[in-house]
Amino acid sequence: MIKRQQLVLGNKSLKDVTDDICSLIERMPGQKFLAVFSAALVLFWFYLFVQGSIVVKGMGLMGINNPVGWGTDIVTFVFWVGIGHAGTLISAVLFLFRQKWRTSIARTAEAMTVFAVMTAGLFPLLHTGRPWLAYWLLPYPNQRGPLWVNFRSPLLWDVFAVSTYATVSIVFWYIGMVPDLAAVRDRAKNKIRKLAYGALSLGWRGTAKQWNHFEMTYMLLAGLATPLVLSVHSIVSFDFAVANLPGWHTTIFPPYFVAGAIFSGFGMVVTLMVIFREVVPVFKDYITMDHMENMNKVIMTTGLLVGYAYGAEFFIAWYSGSPYEQFAFINRAVGPYWWSYWTMIICNVFIPQIFWFKSMRRNIKVMFVVSIFVNIGMWFERFVITVTSLHRDFIPSSWGMFEFTFYDYGAIFGSFGMFFTLFLLYTRVLPAISICEVKPVLNVGREESHDKAH
Amino acid sequence: MQTRKDTDTTLNQEKAGSPKYWQSLEQWRQDPEFIKMAEKEFVSSPLSSDEGKDGWARREFLKLMGASLALTSFGCIRRPAQKIVPYAKRPEEIVPGIANYYSSSFVDGDEVFGLIVKTREGRPIKVDGNPDFPLNKGAVSARAVSHILSLYDPDRLTTPKKNLLNKERTNRDTVSVTYEDLDKAVVEALNAGKVGVLSKPVTGPSGRALLNEFKNKFKTTNYYFNDHTQGVEEKAQQEAYGSAVTPRYEIDKADFILSLGADFLGAHQSSTAYTKQFSSRRSPGEDMNKLTVVESLLSLTGSNADERYTVAPGEELNFVMALIYSLSQSGQARINSQVKDIATQFKAFYGQHKEAVDSVVSDLVKAKGKSLVLTGGLNTQHEQALQLHLAVQYLNNVLGNDGKTVKYRNTRTGSWGEVDSLSQLAKDIESGKIETLIVNDVNVVYQLSSDHPLQSAIRGLKNVVYVGDRIDETGQVAHYVIPVDHPLETWNDHEPFDGLYMIQQPTIRPLYDSRSFEQSMIQWMTLDGATPRYAGDESLWFEYVQNYWKSNITRGSFDKAWTEVLQNGYYDSSASARDNNLPSRNFNESALRGIKPVSSKESLVLYKTIGLRDGNLANVAWLQEFPDPVTKICWDNYLVVSPKYAESQKLKQGQMVEIKVAGKQVTVPVHVQPGVHEKAVGLAVGYGRSAAGKVADGVGVNAFKLAKFDGKEMIAAGLDYELKATKQSVPLASVQDHHSMEGRQIVVEATLDQFMKKPSSGIHKHKVFSMWSKHKYPGHKWAMTIDLSKCTGCSACMISCQSENNIPVVGKKYILQGREMHWIRVDRYYTGEPENPGVVYQPIACMHCDNAPCETVCPVIATSHTDEGLNQMTYNRCVGTRYCANNCPYKVRRFNWFDYTEIRKPTEMALNPEVTVRARGVMEKCTFCYHKIRGAKEQAKQDGRTLVDGDVKTACQEACPADAIVFGDMNDPDSKISKSLGNDRTYGLIEEVNAQPNLKFLSKIRNTKKLKNDHAGNSGGHH
Repeated sequence: MIKRQQLVLGNKSLKDVTDDICSLIERMPGQKFLAVFSAALVLFWFYLFVQGSIVVKGMGLMGINNPVGWGTDIVTFVFWVGIGHAGTLISAVLFLFRQKWRTSIARTAEAMTVFAVMTAGLFPLLHTGRPWLAYWLLPYPNQRGPLWVNFRSPLLWDVFAVSTYATVSIVFWYIGMVPDLAAVRDRAKNKIRKLAYGALSLGWRGTAKQWNHFEMTYMLLAGLATPLVLSVHSIVSFDFAVANLPGWHTTIFPPYFVAGAIFSGFGMVVTLMVIFREVVPVFKDYITMDHMENMNKVIMTTGLLVGYAYGAEFFIAWYSGSPYEQFAFINRAVGPYWWSYWTMIICNVFIPQIFWFKSMRRNIKVMFVVSIFVNIGMWFERFVITVTSLHRDFIPSSWGMFEFTFYDYGAIFGSFGMFFTLFLLYTRVLPAISICEVKPVLNVGREESHDKAH
Repeated sequence: MQTRKDTDTTLNQEKAGSPKYWQSLEQWRQDPEFIKMAEKEFVSSPLSSDEGKDGWARREFLKLMGASLALTSFGCIRRPAQKIVPYAKRPEEIVPGIANYYSSSFVDGDEVFGLIVKTREGRPIKVDGNPDFPLNKGAVSARAVSHILSLYDPDRLTTPKKNLLNKERTNRDTVSVTYEDLDKAVVEALNAGKVGVLSKPVTGPSGRALLNEFKNKFKTTNYYFNDHTQGVEEKAQQEAYGSAVTPRYEIDKADFILSLGADFLGAHQSSTAYTKQFSSRRSPGEDMNKLTVVESLLSLTGSNADERYTVAPGEELNFVMALIYSLSQSGQARINSQVKDIATQFKAFYGQHKEAVDSVVSDLVKAKGKSLVLTGGLNTQHEQALQLHLAVQYLNNVLGNDGKTVKYRNTRTGSWGEVDSLSQLAKDIESGKIETLIVNDVNVVYQLSSDHPLQSAIRGLKNVVYVGDRIDETGQVAHYVIPVDHPLETWNDHEPFDGLYMIQQPTIRPLYDSRSFEQSMIQWMTLDGATPRYAGDESLWFEYVQNYWKSNITRGSFDKAWTEVLQNGYYDSSASARDNNLPSRNFNESALRGIKPVSSKESLVLYKTIGLRDGNLANVAWLQEFPDPVTKICWDNYLVVSPKYAESQKLKQGQMVEIKVAGKQVTVPVHVQPGVHEKAVGLAVGYGRSAAGKVADGVGVNAFKLAKFDGKEMIAAGLDYELKATKQSVPLASVQDHHSMEGRQIVVEATLDQFMKKPSSGIHKHKVFSMWSKHKYPGHKWAMTIDLSKCTGCSACMISCQSENNIPVVGKKYILQGREMHWIRVDRYYTGEPENPGVVYQPIACMHCDNAPCETVCPVIATSHTDEGLNQMTYNRCVGTRYCANNCPYKVRRFNWFDYTEIRKPTEMALNPEVTVRARGVMEKCTFCYHKIRGAKEQAKQDGRTLVDGDVKTACQEACPADAIVFGDMNDPDSKISKSLGNDRTYGLIEEVNAQPNLKFLSKIRNTKKLKNDHAGNSGGHH
């Protein structure tokens, strides 16, 4: 029988696991952390300033214009929603498939999901001309008639899809954390901690009945979250696919978007995990090279999937016989935004191919660089779809160009400030690895550990 | 309230000790702020420090209107600051919410418009053409519509001013002056003698009579200035026929029109009336006219030509003479041997352009007596301009057009200025004949080249009185500046043709302390003890006009006649006389002596644009943001160069170049324009104002500066220049960046022959099918068609729409970012080779699609469909996702990127109260003038009838000089729109998307043998 690779290294005892994981929450952050955190915070404040200016002065501050009605905000929205996908995939889908290697990365991947969706959720809100009225997109009984929303509009489906996704992700993430929060509570040495974590752990006592309920709930939620992995980005893709614009109006969009989302999500997880492993060396025992390699395999596979989608789009454009469709795709590759198209192709299709080599898959530096490229490439994918389709559509007289302004850059980079502020806070407040899920996959009491003990 | 005296005592007591009585702690403490306040009589002064700044707010509008009839005394200065007056006693005629329409008129350089002015609550808000007036027949130009905004121009002068001039005559300071003091000073100067009056053309009989009286009273010498081409045409007539008339050209009577550089559909003479006449013959069929244009730059007229040839600047003369030569050789017209000899000099030119000349000759001969040859305009004002006019008139004569399409009776009358009137004035000043000059609304300092002798002469005068609406370039060198009434504020009359009188009714009481030039003349005469003949007891200009009409024009009961004139806006006593054909006159061939071939050389041509013309309306933001129909660029002038020239000189679009003409230099960006002759470069005048106001100042460069003074007149074309490219470049604000149709079926074009064989020639219909049954529209269903054969691209529709629908102006910066707001735009595409491309225009507004793609995607149902087939925007529901704009295949939706509702006072008075002013962050677009549909319905209901065809006219349709736009109810089978929709030439734009647009186009038919191909593919179907 082939021995399985150990999922946790370093011959940890159960106590070691709890100590290791809680250590981050229980000690004061060091100077390095504070420096990184303040940087993220400053970027976040900058982001608030940028978005605040846009709310006060108007959407005109951004680079969008008449042919290109959607720009940075929508591109970055889709980007962040896409990032979110890996978390749910890892925590819910892999859970249902009994992929035990997921345990040590699931918590953080899902935290990433929650924060990415939060970051993303602001964009469609703030990209409207009158964000203070954005609540009109929600169907609620009102005194304006009552005036309902337009259920035919993909943008409305988007509202439902994203808000459902956000809710389910947060609940799933939180429920999964309850036993761990109780562990932190139990270790707490001061009153405030005890009180805070006590409240968060919802009275967890660790009784058999509670465990029974917990596991059942967790399973059900995983079942609920799984279709969302497919639905959210499918619906986000409808924003484009349902429109009649050449370059948007394609049936391949839902699977193509989902594949792209998983691709970018895993890219982001790898980026974060590499950093995490470096900053908290003890986590290297939990987030092992095998984890990283698995994720790189997913990246390579989904990279091939999106590569296929890019090719299929061109084929269908040619096969459709529609001159507008054909023009839209040729314009992507050789039009004025050729650089964005080729950035996308190189980052998403070519660069991940390096993972055919095992040594590369297991090389931290390489995977870090590749994951960054994947993130860049996926941002450009959405840029290519949104902007290059809009900037030249049916009537040549209205063709135009989109140019980035200061506020566009502010929105893109500032959103990372928001994401990292939330993420860094999370690492110091909540257990970043699932204690209760890691412990069952330890080798404690198993044959392998006996062998080693001898 | 405590009086000043009391305050003083308290303050004095304060110095001695503490005050006996104190009103506040500030007073007790002797707070400096308090002392300052106590010393002032009013907390907020009724006399604001700067009259211009918030002068308007003080003169509350309703109060003015309400009291306008009763308020005759001006003595009360201390009106309380912001008192409001209840509308308890409303003035007669004004019903809140109901518009009043007044007929009036507007003179725009050479062009005269009969207008209908729409007023709401006493303020004029929209200008439309008077449909009965024989000249423009309901059409208006973009400029005429903009007239309304010039009334509310915030930079207008509000009170009379005195310039304290220093020695160099660069203004030192400007102070306010009362009319009393001003009049005293002017009368003194008038009595001192040596007075000159430099006036814009005095076009009305009353004005002429008054000016004559004034001239006799004060022994003035009068000079007139209209524009730099003035008098050339008349001089040619004088030399050829012995009388200096400005001929009337009957474009609609011509089967073939040959224009030699005359932009008669654009910026030349009465282009609006000409467009009306021209387009009346553009319906394809046997009756369709043909237009051939020979020019060096690409004008709007050239872009509408059926055939077009380019020549080097000045070579237009060669072309005409080559035509005469060809005619003389073939004997197809009787050419005198003397002329034959002159024409023989052009044999070489004929040889080089044989094909073009022969083709034009055959067209001319085919249409003998029914053809028309035209020339003129600033771009033909080269050294041989007179010869060109003579040759053209000769050609008209030998072709039998004289008296038929060229009418020489009942033509323009009045004082329009002679070729050398300005140089004469300069001479008279230098010789000491003139010491005092009264300038009536002529901005000579701006419009004259810097080497014109009048530039220095006017600065050396003892007294200059300027009558104008602002202290403009000329106002700055004047001692006194009198704010003049806007034409919509004052009475006047005009006589565009002999026997055709029109009245200019004021539609609002003067907004400011202004006075018309005529009233000033009456004032000065009465102050000096004279009584102007027609001025009544009150010595008012209005009385003068009325009495003049009473004694000289109207017949029968005056009251009745006068009311009729006011209602109609004009009185025509020569209609039938103007219509008659006249006998051909005898041409004095010896006038052609001295015509020599013009050498083909690289030279600069100054030209006028349809939007700004000579720049007098430059401060109207609508006109600055009005994209030039040909170049599609706004907010700038630029050096127009041909693609070939740009290539040889390595010039790029937007690159700054220094242009030097005889030591005078300007730096302008380059615009590479297809269709320009490789030896020509062009620069538009009307830009580069320095004292026009906040909108116009510093926009572009003043090209007039570069014109050449030849001792008598200004030469504006064929100027030798030096060009030096710089390394800088600026972006040019173009509203259209792509100029090819990419082989798509956008503008369908066919030749007349193709049309005769198959009327739907060139239209490729797509099969579309739907899973759904169509919606039912049981009542009205509104639709529009635009006939591209008729549309000349003049873009008057854009400005009419802008005025009607409160469309904001965004400025150059945002035009560059693609944020123009025009609801109707005019697209322009090129076909064929860039040396001499075909040009097509296509106005595009919201198509009000049956399957509107915008409607399905709006998440909040802010855009929806009515049961009359209209696609509507609910502004207050819109949250601004812009999804609708993305999904609109025609890209007609406009987004309010910023808050465009902050409007400089008093411009907000030009807003149409029937149309919502859109808030920031909402989408907007063409509504098919829904408010007008509502209005017409309400009117019909009141009248107890149903709506009939023609009750509703959209703003674009009303303005359109070409009658290209038809709008109406397609459910009415007899309506014009139903017929137009049933036309074989009708097609929908990108129908295959199946949006089912309700704005359809009629294909463009060119009266030519062969079309220029769209170089990205064929212009027809695209499969």
